Amino acid sequence: MTTSRVPHPILAENLVRTFGSGDDAVRAVDGVDLQVEAGEIFGFLGPNGAGKSTTVRMLTTLLRPTSGTAKVAGWDVSTEADKVRRSIGVALQDAAIDPLMTGTELLRLQAVLYGLPRNIHATRAGELLERVGLTAAGDRRVGTYSGGMRRRLDLALSLIHEPSVLFLDEPTTGLDPMSRKSLWEEIRRLNDDGTTVLLTTQYLEEADQLADRIAIIDNGRIVSQGSPADLKAEVGSPTLLISVDPTHLAAAREILTHFGEARPTAEGTLGVGLVDGASGVSAVIRRLDEASIPVIHLELNEPSLDDVFAEATGHRLEGAEK
Amino acid sequence: MNTDPTLTLTAPQDLRSSPWAQTSALSVRSMIALWRQPATVIPSMIFPLFFVALGTSSFSRAINLPGFPVVDSFLNFALAGAIVQGVLFGSITGAAALATDIENGFFDRLLVAPTARSSILFGRLAGAMAFGAFQTAFFIAVLLPFGLGIKSGPIGVAVMILGGTMTALGVGAIMSAMALRTGSSEAVQGSFPLLFIMLFFSSAFFPRQTMSGIYGTLANLNPVSYLIEGFRDLTIDGLTTWAVVRALGFSALLAAIGMGLSLRSLRIRLGRQ
Amino acid sequence: MNDLRTSSLSAAVGLSGRNLRNIRRLPSAFLPALLMPIFQTVAFSGTFYAITQVPGFPTDRSINWYMPLGVVMGSSFAGVGIGFSTVRDLESGFYDRIRMSPAPRRALLLGPLLSALTRAVMVVTLVTIISFGLGARTTGGPLALVTLLAAGAGMSVIGTGWGLGLAYRFKDMRAAAIMQLTLFLGLFLTTAQAPLSIMQGWLYDVARLNPFTQILQLARAGFVNEMAWQHIWGGLVAIIVISFLTTTFAWTGLRRLQD
Repeated sequence: MTTSRVPHPILAENLVRTFGSGDDAVRAVDGVDLQVEAGEIFGFLGPNGAGKSTTVRMLTTLLRPTSGTAKVAGWDVSTEADKVRRSIGVALQDAAIDPLMTGTELLRLQAVLYGLPRNIHATRAGELLERVGLTAAGDRRVGTYSGGMRRRLDLALSLIHEPSVLFLDEPTTGLDPMSRKSLWEEIRRLNDDGTTVLLTTQYLEEADQLADRIAIIDNGRIVSQGSPADLKAEVGSPTLLISVDPTHLAAAREILTHFGEARPTAEGTLGVGLVDGASGVSAVIRRLDEASIPVIHLELNEPSLDDVFAEATGHRLEGAEK
Repeated sequence: MNTDPTLTLTAPQDLRSSPWAQTSALSVRSMIALWRQPATVIPSMIFPLFFVALGTSSFSRAINLPGFPVVDSFLNFALAGAIVQGVLFGSITGAAALATDIENGFFDRLLVAPTARSSILFGRLAGAMAFGAFQTAFFIAVLLPFGLGIKSGPIGVAVMILGGTMTALGVGAIMSAMALRTGSSEAVQGSFPLLFIMLFFSSAFFPRQTMSGIYGTLANLNPVSYLIEGFRDLTIDGLTTWAVVRALGFSALLAAIGMGLSLRSLRIRLGRQ
Repeated sequence: MNDLRTSSLSAAVGLSGRNLRNIRRLPSAFLPALLMPIFQTVAFSGTFYAITQVPGFPTDRSINWYMPLGVVMGSSFAGVGIGFSTVRDLESGFYDRIRMSPAPRRALLLGPLLSALTRAVMVVTLVTIISFGLGARTTGGPLALVTLLAAGAGMSVIGTGWGLGLAYRFKDMRAAAIMQLTLFLGLFLTTAQAPLSIMQGWLYDVARLNPFTQILQLARAGFVNEMAWQHIWGGLVAIIVISFLTTTFAWTGLRRLQD
């Protein structure tokens, strides 16, 4: 794999994209700045509709930015789209693949579109099928593939020209845990070979497992950026989650304010960032006991990306795993 | 034992509605569907008129050809073909909607409700009949200002509307049979070319007497020819028994065949459930 | 691999190869486009068999009159069929992948045009063979087949440009309905059914001004007349002008996909 020729293979400054016009205009992406280092896996995290896909579509030349600039592999996405296209590989969210074609045919078409010399089409297609474990299925129509197989073929297609920058838009959404793990391994392998990866996901675990750094996007804006460890450290204190009988909810909430800042939680549960850490739990229980509020459930969580997310946006990530 | 009067009143067995009420509710539903999705029915209203307009301009001099009936204008000749064309194409919409009901599970919802099984079919067909009547009246009303003359007068118009209604019932029922058999709206839509063939290999656009060879033979064998000629004679000839017999008789026959097929398909589908 | 270049032609051939392969894999999408002009030719020549007896009708074989119409309609719908499959690709997202590739943008139009032309050649060949079997004869010698093919090829280009342009703008099946309906109207408001010389009323003026009438005349040039330049040039000009317009319409639509 080729390594990036520039220190920041993905660089966006104040990227804006609006849809519609006049009063109905929606700012889907509202001033996004990104600096992705060469050779890193960068996680782009956010709920559905936060602006992840729109940002990726601009960075991959599918959509023109309304304002702001973006450079990918050192080329401007608006004025040097052709050079950008040649440098990037993209696996799309819906794994849009023509179901009537076979895996091999798709890889060969891709090779033609990327201008690979004709004499290496067959070998390249064979190599890539082997790499993603689809050699046996290469001559079958894609319509017969499982979801996991499609994603793997999609990844193979994006690698046809050995891109230095790889965009993966929700690569594992809807996959079973096994397929997800094997795709993760493949992404790590590619990264080890020097490919810079930008990965969008709504799975916290995925970002935590794979990404060197992450950016959290909400309502079209980046609300937090850094390595998962740093971001968690910023949240600092662990979260204490408490369930009480609904009649005591207000009283319990009042008591908890003495122990730290309230944290967003699911309906019917109270959350507090315990300033004193784990040692503060007994004090909380004592106070609740004194107020004759029986505790139904209690849980102490070390800071997770979900907390980072909640801290940054004021709400929990939809579909986030515990 | 519970003697609370309200409970007794709402006991399910007392909520049974008559099949008639169900059928009318379902036919209202199918008519509303036609009304709310004009895009699905407008082609069957516009295209026949478009072809009449084209033909009237293109073939005005053809009415003097040997084999052509005595007519004042090509427009008078073309009306019958337009009515049958419109009704044939219009019948697809309701049947396709029935197939869609099967595809998306609405059909099953009707089945788990205490609905009379036949209401599901009759509701659709009543909608088709209403639409057929409307189409016939619509074509006549639109073409009148352009010089259309109907020799058989208001009674003839009434006969034509009745004939159009029964034709819509017949074709709608045949298409519904296909919908019930396949459960696929695509299959129903796919029968469109078949209707085109039935229409073109008939006297819909030109008299059979001017055709020749195999084509003429096929038009002679095609029952659609006689149905259309019944309507046509009412327009250009007057109120003759033979014209009424063909306009009503062939449409009634079509309706009977269609009802037989669709009821049989309904039984088969219910047996499968 | 930044030094690689994709040639427009090879990318276009690659794209049209996919399109043509899909004919075999999804025949239900292409068969109607092939059968419709045959049916139309047979149905019109059979139904309006006697029209040739109207004084002033330029040929005594109804199939000579209606076969070129079948070819022109069939070829334009071969082009529109490309618009259909592009709508499918746009809806599925496959078209994003094509757009993300560094293939030159003109290849994205050239590919579909190549497949439409191939489809049109298939339509013209099949309709011609069947029509000759049913009694069609040229009046202008073998050149009649050349002008017929030219009209068919031209209409397929026009249909493709129109179909792609609408597909890019609507991005869903509404585009398919519009492309079909507009072409249908455009082609029927002509001398499709009868020559100007026997027409009466409103259609006469519409058909006389409609450039598709010229293209039909080109298609019929060697089937109703002696081959003569006066029956040819109007159609060629119409094809060049309308092709240019619809291809530009497609090109600006492709550009607008980024907006």
